[in-house]
Amino acid sequence: MGDVVSILMSGLFSAAILFLVAAGLQLVFGVMKIFNLAVGSFYALGAFFGATLVNWAVGEGLPQPLFFFGLLIAGILLGVIGPVIERLLRPIYDRDEAFQLLLTFAIVLMLEDITMMIWGSQPRSTGSLYLVYGTVNLLGATVPVYNLFVIAAAGTIAVGIGLLLSRTAFGRVLRAAADKREMVQSLGVNTRRLYVIVFSLGVVLSTIGGALVIPVTATMSEMGVELIVEAFAVVVIGGLGSMRGALVGALVVGYVTTLSINYYPPIEMLVIYLVVIVVLVIKPRGLFGGETA
Amino acid sequence: MLADEQEAETGPEENSLGKGIMSMQYRKSNIFGIRVVLALVIILAMASFALVGCGDDEVATDETEGTTVEDTSAGTESTDGASAEAPENVPDEPLKIGLLVARSGVTAPVGEAAHRAVEWWAERVNADGGILGRQVELLVEEESNPQDTVDRMRKLVLEDEVSAVLGLISTGVSLATAPIAEELETPLLMWDGTTQDGVEETMPDPAYTFRSTDNETEAIAAAVLTAKYFPDTKRIVGIANDYSYGHDTWNTYQAVLSKYMPDVEFVDALFPELGATEFASHITAIQQSGADLLFNSFWSGDAPVFMKQAAAVNLFDDMNAVFTTAGGVHTSLEQDFVPEGMLLGYNTFYFDMPEKSDLLEEFLADYQEAYGDYPMYEANNAYFTAVAYKAAVEAAYEEAGEWPSNEQVAEALVGIEVESLSGMMHYDDSKRMQGDFFQGITVHSEDYSFATIDPVEQLSTTDIMKPTADTDLLQWIDESFPKEGLVE
Repeated sequence: MGDVVSILMSGLFSAAILFLVAAGLQLVFGVMKIFNLAVGSFYALGAFFGATLVNWAVGEGLPQPLFFFGLLIAGILLGVIGPVIERLLRPIYDRDEAFQLLLTFAIVLMLEDITMMIWGSQPRSTGSLYLVYGTVNLLGATVPVYNLFVIAAAGTIAVGIGLLLSRTAFGRVLRAAADKREMVQSLGVNTRRLYVIVFSLGVVLSTIGGALVIPVTATMSEMGVELIVEAFAVVVIGGLGSMRGALVGALVVGYVTTLSINYYPPIEMLVIYLVVIVVLVIKPRGLFGGETA
Repeated sequence: MLADEQEAETGPEENSLGKGIMSMQYRKSNIFGIRVVLALVIILAMASFALVGCGDDEVATDETEGTTVEDTSAGTESTDGASAEAPENVPDEPLKIGLLVARSGVTAPVGEAAHRAVEWWAERVNADGGILGRQVELLVEEESNPQDTVDRMRKLVLEDEVSAVLGLISTGVSLATAPIAEELETPLLMWDGTTQDGVEETMPDPAYTFRSTDNETEAIAAAVLTAKYFPDTKRIVGIANDYSYGHDTWNTYQAVLSKYMPDVEFVDALFPELGATEFASHITAIQQSGADLLFNSFWSGDAPVFMKQAAAVNLFDDMNAVFTTAGGVHTSLEQDFVPEGMLLGYNTFYFDMPEKSDLLEEFLADYQEAYGDYPMYEANNAYFTAVAYKAAVEAAYEEAGEWPSNEQVAEALVGIEVESLSGMMHYDDSKRMQGDFFQGITVHSEDYSFATIDPVEQLSTTDIMKPTADTDLLQWIDESFPKEGLVE
């Protein structure tokens, strides 16, 4: 029983992080129709900056158990780069997807080097803060409490986004803009500001994802690029532009990876893409493709 | 589009720049003049770029990283008793040595440590009068992918005219550069890289390529020490990076340990890719395997990450562990998540070895002062290549009576023995690095926040590395192990 719960929890943890990054992708694609490859770099930035901020704060006397909030704050603070990058992407909104992929990939490469320039080549981590909350025994499985915090945070954010989209005026405008941009503009909505906000929100989702994952791991070169590959699988499976798709896709990828590692490790990477192929064959638009929320 | 409120407010007439441009259009007589001015400006710009470009090249060769040219006539006295006059038949110009240093990716911290050690060596050598009176100048290029690194190596040798190339961490890159060294007849002294596969194909009979220690050596050492420290082990599970090094170390470890403990059962190993950072699923699988010992050959940032995630679920409460190479990232192995009692390997260099030479004391002190850190094994390998090269040049000079050719230096390198940071090291007849490997049992010392080892076991490559480059590894293991008397 403990083993099953172990697998359940580790799959859920992977899915939580993947969801955050994929949600950022989906939000931006849904509203602005840009496939923002740079979410991977924002994720990496969130990790680096999260580690720096938390290590500094704890060094200055922040009680260790509060470091979780330090990470969330780090992720939110990085939202300031949202308007900057959005301004860079503005010329290509209506251009061919190829330009979008090229330009966002160029941003990935640039941010990769900028990150290295600022933080150097040594891996960064938050040391042993990960273990501060201890572990809990869940039906025979030892689960780090921190993992549960992350899963809870991702779940809260998922619910929050859902409510934002379905219950608020802003969410209504968002969904309308995703559906029919010209109509929204002709109704007097400042789509320019809308895009800046949406893009920054997408950035913050990814940076929070990176910040939340850093205590468990360490910054690695090209961690951003690697994540893009997984995030891509998530949104293809879930359907481009759909939040629900991000959630389901993240769970699928998270669990498929966990299960394959436990039962037949050699096919770990292969199996994710087998699922992608199957989904594309059966439902080319993804499981929830075509929706806007 | 209707959307753009801001741009709709200012038209060209209301913008002063626009006014200027508009008015310019009506002065036809001046258009020709403007074009000439523009053309002159462009020509001047191109000319100045060209001049600056040429000038930069000259500046660059004088100000390459690390060591600058110093005035040898400043009367620096050599401290080793040799003549203070410049040796005969030796060119005046600085001696250029090319470095191929990994700067990005998982190998970057390793490359950085190595680079720092060679810079330290060069500063001391130059302060002491250089090599046979010639000041050493380091020209640094980046080691990245095989293709680009080969190009940079060609540039170093053909354009920059370096006398030797030191460097390389990655196996794939080193295999690609070895044929170039042979083609260009320039000594290439590798810091790391090269496992078993591909060596015979790419370097069948190298004259100029000098390799590092065989990568499997630390797995062999770990197996010998496993038999000593964990003799009651029944079942072993492995995890290693999914490339040649990971697979080779796991296979070698199994082969050697089976000779000491034939009844041990080995569970199928896990091979996450190099650079993976999420091991929760792997750790669960390891817990489910029923093993009482874990083998791990991670050597980069993934090692502390794995240990941290393992500690979070108390993996090592019921399991011993052997980390063959994690000593490479020793300062990130914090005591909070690295338990005592594990076997930990440090490759050819342990920073806190019980008896330190004066050389090592100085290096540790300078490194701590400059970087606030403790060096790892690549610093030692890199230092060895530099000091071995110098010794070979001097030996070849003694024989030739004049500045030696590359071929003479390469010949002198074979069998050369010098003092490195970790102790005496040498190149054997098959042009491989030989020295001691350091491994031990982890302890929590008050002096450091990270785990260290006590006792420190030191095994010589003459015992744990196959005797020649073309010996079959598994056959040699089968015939030579178990070896008596390697460890007490």
